Amino acid sequence: MLDDIFFVGLLASTFRFATPIMFAALGEAVSQRAGVLNVGLEGIMLVGAFLAALGAWWTGTPWGGLVLAVAGGAAMGALHAFISITLRADQIISGIALIVLGLGISGYGYRMTLGGMSPPPSIPSFSPMEFWGLSDLPFVGPIFFGQHILVYMALAGAVLLHFFLYRSRWGLDVRAIGQSPVAADAVGIRVQGTRYATVIFGGAMAAMGGAYLSTAQLSGFVENMVSGRGFIAIACVVFGRWSPLGAMAAALFFGMADAAQIRLQSLNPDIPFQFFVMFPYVLAVVALVFMAKSSRMPAALGVPFQPPR
Amino acid sequence: MRSIQFIANLPAPWRVAAIAFAGALLISALLLAAGFSPLQALFVLIEQSLGNGNGLSEVVVRSVPLTLAGLGIAVAFRARVFNVGADGQIIFGAIGFVGFSLALPGLSGWVLLPLSMVAAIVGGGLWGGIAGVLRARYNANEIIVTIMLTYVAFQALGWAIRGPLQESAQIFPRSDAVPDGVLLGTMIEGTRLHWGLAIALLAVAATYVALRYTSFGFRLDAVGENPLAARFSGIRDRTMIALSLTISGGLAGLAGAVEIAGVHGRLQDAFAEGTGITAIAVALLARLNPLFIPLTALMFAVLSVGASGLQRQLGIPFPLVHIVEAIVILAFVIAGALQNADRGVRDA
Repeated sequence: MLDDIFFVGLLASTFRFATPIMFAALGEAVSQRAGVLNVGLEGIMLVGAFLAALGAWWTGTPWGGLVLAVAGGAAMGALHAFISITLRADQIISGIALIVLGLGISGYGYRMTLGGMSPPPSIPSFSPMEFWGLSDLPFVGPIFFGQHILVYMALAGAVLLHFFLYRSRWGLDVRAIGQSPVAADAVGIRVQGTRYATVIFGGAMAAMGGAYLSTAQLSGFVENMVSGRGFIAIACVVFGRWSPLGAMAAALFFGMADAAQIRLQSLNPDIPFQFFVMFPYVLAVVALVFMAKSSRMPAALGVPFQPPR
Repeated sequence: MRSIQFIANLPAPWRVAAIAFAGALLISALLLAAGFSPLQALFVLIEQSLGNGNGLSEVVVRSVPLTLAGLGIAVAFRARVFNVGADGQIIFGAIGFVGFSLALPGLSGWVLLPLSMVAAIVGGGLWGGIAGVLRARYNANEIIVTIMLTYVAFQALGWAIRGPLQESAQIFPRSDAVPDGVLLGTMIEGTRLHWGLAIALLAVAATYVALRYTSFGFRLDAVGENPLAARFSGIRDRTMIALSLTISGGLAGLAGAVEIAGVHGRLQDAFAEGTGITAIAVALLARLNPLFIPLTALMFAVLSVGASGLQRQLGIPFPLVHIVEAIVILAFVIAGALQNADRGVRDA
């Protein structure tokens, strides 16, 4: 009986822990498919988490927070797009700047607003779904019907993006641009505009992942609360071989690692807990080693495009 | 677009000034939005860091680990290997230093100090080297790996000071004090300015010579410019990539040791928090030139010490520092792109 409860809990929290990573990884998969690398997801997620908490407090609903977070993430995506697409500057260093910028904006903004209030404000957050009582079903209830709405949005997003990339005209354009912007341009595809759209979309998605952390997983912002998930999301794009469903699967894998880590921690009080906390990070490194070599990377990833005049 | 064209048309020094001015406007806007006076903030920042002897010595003390870690970042970035995990390497350097010096307390300081410093370089070098080898052999992205290893290092530090390295009294999460013989004494009586400054400046000279006057430096730059071309001209590009991260980590490890030996005297939580991130801005602003790194490290040390003062005196949150760092990195990347446009560099 205990085993059942254990596994139901493990699987239910697998989805919970996977969702923030999944949002960010899906957006990054699309923008990398178009050839733009954004290593600054961590910073965007931090800003998303902060803005979501701020917006939720301000408007009184977590949806208000989500809107604000998406706007902030899109703005950071636009900044990265401007630097890497229009200025054709170094995408990696621009991404590093976004990491540091996100650290600063979220920390400064938080302490100037919510963090400085006393008593600490209560942040409205998403409540788990019930689906007319289906969530009370044994086993499947908590796993499939008792999650936050953002969990379903992330999963649906993975499926939709998969159709978008592989079954739509726009998706074909995106993939063509990522393989050869010159050839794509020659057949009349708008390279720069499409790239802008994917990078801004990637920023918005990363911010939604951050919003999940502060308005679903927790109710409130904590400085540095993203703690590496932005980088794990980039790793998920590699493991998922630049496909949305692959990125989703990779995110679920890391979600499960995190869920297992926390459970094993409480079952083994003799082993120092730090070793369990390390586990997902070590796993990311190991997985990168095994997956990175088999390269399906978009051919023009990180390569700027100079439109002919 | 027109405004960017306008900046691009300016002569280079004016261009930097224009970007700096835009950055200053942005920071001022952030301060105004939060109800602070930018001029007063600037005044307090300068007064707290440069306006008195104590502040000045703190600035130099702060610049020491930034210089060492910044040198490490520069070595890796020159090979276009992006070490963003110096914080983890600093931790392992410090663990190596403290672990070694506590294990052999009987030795005289003259022997123990250099050996412990070597242990720190090995500790940091190992932590960077892992990422280097994984990048070179398996093409594992070093940005992700160095960050992941930094999170592992945070946990390792947390465990070490509550487990094997915890103080004998077993009260606080910190190590015993290191033997007196390995402490770096103060250079100027009555300040906290320690001999780590001399170590940092020696490292600057050594790195400069290695990068500027040896074939190692040439090969490093060749790999950074174009790894394939370097390989075809007989340079072992993968070895250079692994080596650059190992050396980078070793320098960061030395920064960790100097911070322990010069400032804290023992291992404790968050003893050099954020140094590795600031060091990226330090190295980029110095345009990856070792000779400029102590100067840019001093600038960021002024910012950091001044911002602590701002927080104390005016209640302006410290993370503002990171916003400034990000603006500096962005300015660097934008200036670099405009320069390429000048030279008529065309890509794909």
